[in-house]
Amino acid sequence: MHEKEKDLIDAFLRGQVDRRGLIKGLGAMGLAAGTAGTLLNLGQTRALAADFDWQAHKGKTIKLLLNKHPYADAMIADLENFKKLTGMNVVYDVFPEDVYFDKVTAALSASSPEYDAFMTGAYMTWTYGPAGWITDLNEWIKDPAKTNPNYAWDDFLPGVKSSCAWNGKPGGALGSEDAKQWCIPWAFEQNNITYNKGMFDKAGVGVPGNMDEMITTAAKLQKDIGGGVYGIGVRGSRSWATIHPGFLSAYANFNEKDLTVSADGKLAAAMNTAGSKAFHAKWVQMIQESGPKDWSTYTWYQVGTDLGAGASAMIFDADCLGYFMNGGDNKMAGKLAYAAFTANPEAKASTPNIWIWSLAMSNFSKDKDATWYFLQWASGPEHGLFGATKMDFVDPVRQSVWKDEMFREKLNKSYPGYVEMFDASAAGASIKFTAQPLFFDLTTEWAATLQKMVAKEVPVDEGLDKLAESINGQLKEAGLG
Amino acid sequence: MEHTSLLERILRGVALTLVVIFFMFPILWIFMMSFQTNETILRIPPQLIFEPTLANYTALITGKLMTAAGTLDIAFMRNLWNSVFLSVTSVAVSLLLGVPAAYAFARHKFRGSEDIAFTLLSFKFAPALLVLLPLTLYFQKLGLANTYFGLIWVYQLICLPLILWIVRGYFEDIPADIEYAYRIGGHSWFATFRKIALPLAGPGIAAAGLLAFIFAWNNFVFALVLASADKQPVTVGALAFITSSGIQYGQISAAIVLSITPTLALALYAQRYLVEGLSLGAVKG
Amino acid sequence: MTAVVSQRPKPSGFRISKKVLPYVLSLPALLVCIGILIPFLTSVVYSFQRYRLSQPWARQFNWGDNYISFFTDPKFWNTLKVSLLYAGTTVVLELLLGLAIALLLQKRSTLNNFISIMLLMPLMTAPALAALMWKLMTNPGFGVLSYLASLIGLQDFRWASSPSTALFTVVLVDIWVYTPFIMILLLAGLRSLPTQPFEAAALDGVPRSFVFFRITLPMLTPYILTATLFRLLDSIQQFDIIYAMTQGGPGDTLTVFQVEAYLNFFQSTNVGRSAALMIILWAITYFLSNIFIKNWLRLRERARGQA
Repeated sequence: MHEKEKDLIDAFLRGQVDRRGLIKGLGAMGLAAGTAGTLLNLGQTRALAADFDWQAHKGKTIKLLLNKHPYADAMIADLENFKKLTGMNVVYDVFPEDVYFDKVTAALSASSPEYDAFMTGAYMTWTYGPAGWITDLNEWIKDPAKTNPNYAWDDFLPGVKSSCAWNGKPGGALGSEDAKQWCIPWAFEQNNITYNKGMFDKAGVGVPGNMDEMITTAAKLQKDIGGGVYGIGVRGSRSWATIHPGFLSAYANFNEKDLTVSADGKLAAAMNTAGSKAFHAKWVQMIQESGPKDWSTYTWYQVGTDLGAGASAMIFDADCLGYFMNGGDNKMAGKLAYAAFTANPEAKASTPNIWIWSLAMSNFSKDKDATWYFLQWASGPEHGLFGATKMDFVDPVRQSVWKDEMFREKLNKSYPGYVEMFDASAAGASIKFTAQPLFFDLTTEWAATLQKMVAKEVPVDEGLDKLAESINGQLKEAGLG
Repeated sequence: MEHTSLLERILRGVALTLVVIFFMFPILWIFMMSFQTNETILRIPPQLIFEPTLANYTALITGKLMTAAGTLDIAFMRNLWNSVFLSVTSVAVSLLLGVPAAYAFARHKFRGSEDIAFTLLSFKFAPALLVLLPLTLYFQKLGLANTYFGLIWVYQLICLPLILWIVRGYFEDIPADIEYAYRIGGHSWFATFRKIALPLAGPGIAAAGLLAFIFAWNNFVFALVLASADKQPVTVGALAFITSSGIQYGQISAAIVLSITPTLALALYAQRYLVEGLSLGAVKG
Repeated sequence: MTAVVSQRPKPSGFRISKKVLPYVLSLPALLVCIGILIPFLTSVVYSFQRYRLSQPWARQFNWGDNYISFFTDPKFWNTLKVSLLYAGTTVVLELLLGLAIALLLQKRSTLNNFISIMLLMPLMTAPALAALMWKLMTNPGFGVLSYLASLIGLQDFRWASSPSTALFTVVLVDIWVYTPFIMILLLAGLRSLPTQPFEAAALDGVPRSFVFFRITLPMLTPYILTATLFRLLDSIQQFDIIYAMTQGGPGDTLTVFQVEAYLNFFQSTNVGRSAALMIILWAITYFLSNIFIKNWLRLRERARGQA
């Protein structure tokens, strides 16, 4: 490598030159962007190696269990750098998302030592943690001998980081003092609005500012656009996945809760309060009036596909779903825009519930120290920046990445409103569920109840009373209520 | 059967056409989608006219999937090979074990024969889920987890009962007198079984073998739970096109077409045994 | 039949003792399968435990509690009802349709043989993928079937997404996938029937309906029973199609045993309840099969008597 270029890269790594300056500088030296990237990787590898013994586990092999996902793709694309840095070998099994968590449950419940680390969501750790399948990562994060000095644990967005930490007590607050760090956030999803700009212009409507406006805007869009296009896409299948995106984000914005925790730690259903009933009535009305016709079968895929193909005017779902639909061979690629959504007119800002793709360490791993080397690299600032700027690693969990000019520019160029959307709601973004082992029982039944309400099989008030009664029964039966 | 009236023949023709339309239309639609991208598949209303592309097949066969996010590796051909290997081996083992047993149950009423036959059938009663979790634990202890051997063993649960009970029925339909006459002629038991019983039950064995093959082919829960990614069948592989950035309907369609092809070839090959068959009536005379 | 055979003198060259031979032939199959009894029994033990993976400390025997709680649980009764309804509807419809198609294709001709193989293609499509395709084809916007339905005036037909048509839709997909299974078994059966009785009936000028009900059907009965038995075993355990199309919804419309057991196991990780559900499913299957097998043996004897 030429000395000049080396110096420039090192200056960047020391923080004296920003990223744009670096690329410009390298460009001026006649290096193509691709080459610059390679040099940068090499430089980073050198910088990482400088202050920490990355080679401590040289020659060891670890095995990962991964979900077929753009985040995993981004990691795999960068994996050579890790291998070079540590001299370790990494092998991995990738399973389709449809069956991924079944595979995880099967492997962990059999105490299989095959996988050292795996991808997970924070909700899942509420099962895996108490079951003894995963390790509290604080032991490594807080040990300077095992964690490299550049790791910057404080760099993680606080709401996201603490959403992955739980003390294991049913109803225990996420991120409490005694919480265990069950997993490390990798990238996350805020639930907000992604909308079709052309359709909004055509119908002459703006981005809705609260729940009532969302109902009227969706109805107007559906009426004015015509051609089978419906107003708003939200998920509706009989699954926890229906509850956690837009629905719970708006619900939480009205300060409503799934469960209440009493002083002595007993849990009780809270879906049948007056406020909750009023919100449910609005949500159900919105789906009946302007949701997809076959809403009750709608998962992530259908919500996204419809938006991408121009069958829906907006979605209230994961921001990165809207992000994916704005690219690829989607008909509406390049025509989508983003906005934060504050459902409650009295709330100051949006409070999205979030999904966090995270990395967890298996308790059955045969070499946890070596596994931690991979985890700290994969969740480290360098890989985060690589994923965010070169691949589809949205939304990154590190504040430093969000400050990166190249990343912001990439988003601003092709994803109008995305950065503003993120900035407006990142502070209020966290998991709004009560952490407890019956999470999936509760949310599946909640979704089934919503389906019955939308199909007009049961009135909203009555449905919620029944749901609360059933949930309370199950909590008691499990010794939680 | 010769005296069919014209009206009846027309009615039969109409009925058969309706049947073919009902069963073949979705297949035809899948076939057409396999030559399209999501852009033309997802149109409102759906349309017949499109510009065909081979991109889906190219991606599956080369294992390189071009997306907006870059090139992704897919292991579809490996999955296809796993399916072929697992299904062929499992059915072969099942035939080796099941056909003699079926013959025993059909020909010899021995003490406990019905009980053993029923027990073998009852392995099909248990939902796969019921045995899977403990099975994973035991497989791990026995070192069978993540081995083809272990998978083929478990696949016997799908194939063996089916083969055993279908083939048994065919053996029972062969008049014992024919075999007896052959044996009287000085032939051994084994020669009788091989020269008389097996050919006569040929259609049944072909039908049972083919159906067992199809069921083994379509299964995925065993491999999913018991094996790592490099041993997954095509049924799991095809799910990889349900990605978080959208369902790749074109590639799934192409995957379905590619995964039907080997089974279809086998069925066409087995056809002469399957539906041509040997008429027992003729033998019986 | 065998009794008659055994009275005759032993043929020469018959080396293995007649008593031992059937065991030699059937035991390998049994031995290969018997290992599965161990995990099965383990699961039976689980079903008598309070056993949630997420609360390992609370794991203990609660004996029949998992089962007893079902009796007062309306969700369980709904599961039982839907499972039996689903299995009954699919098996009866597929049997009738499969028999009709087999009769249409009975005559040996190149075209009929070709059609019979082509009709197997739905069966060759993995049910989970087939369901995904049906979901696309019944989508109100992009779906070709929804479009065709709208042409005949069914603009608002909601297929799997409405409680009133969800069962119809999954049954339709089940029929599409599995009717060929029954068809091919019955076709093979029809074609292996002896021709003699039919020729005799034709000579005597017996009416065709009489031939069908008094000769064809009774002789075909063993095949019908085998096909129905296997279809019933699979149908009552249906999972792929229902889960992929509706995940058991809308509401609790389609929460059949396997869907409930799957959700209890993989999502709630309530192993005890999941195992108890599946043991009940196993018991139902066992009971139904027993009835079938009894009749199977009886009807077989009778069918052979007629032939």
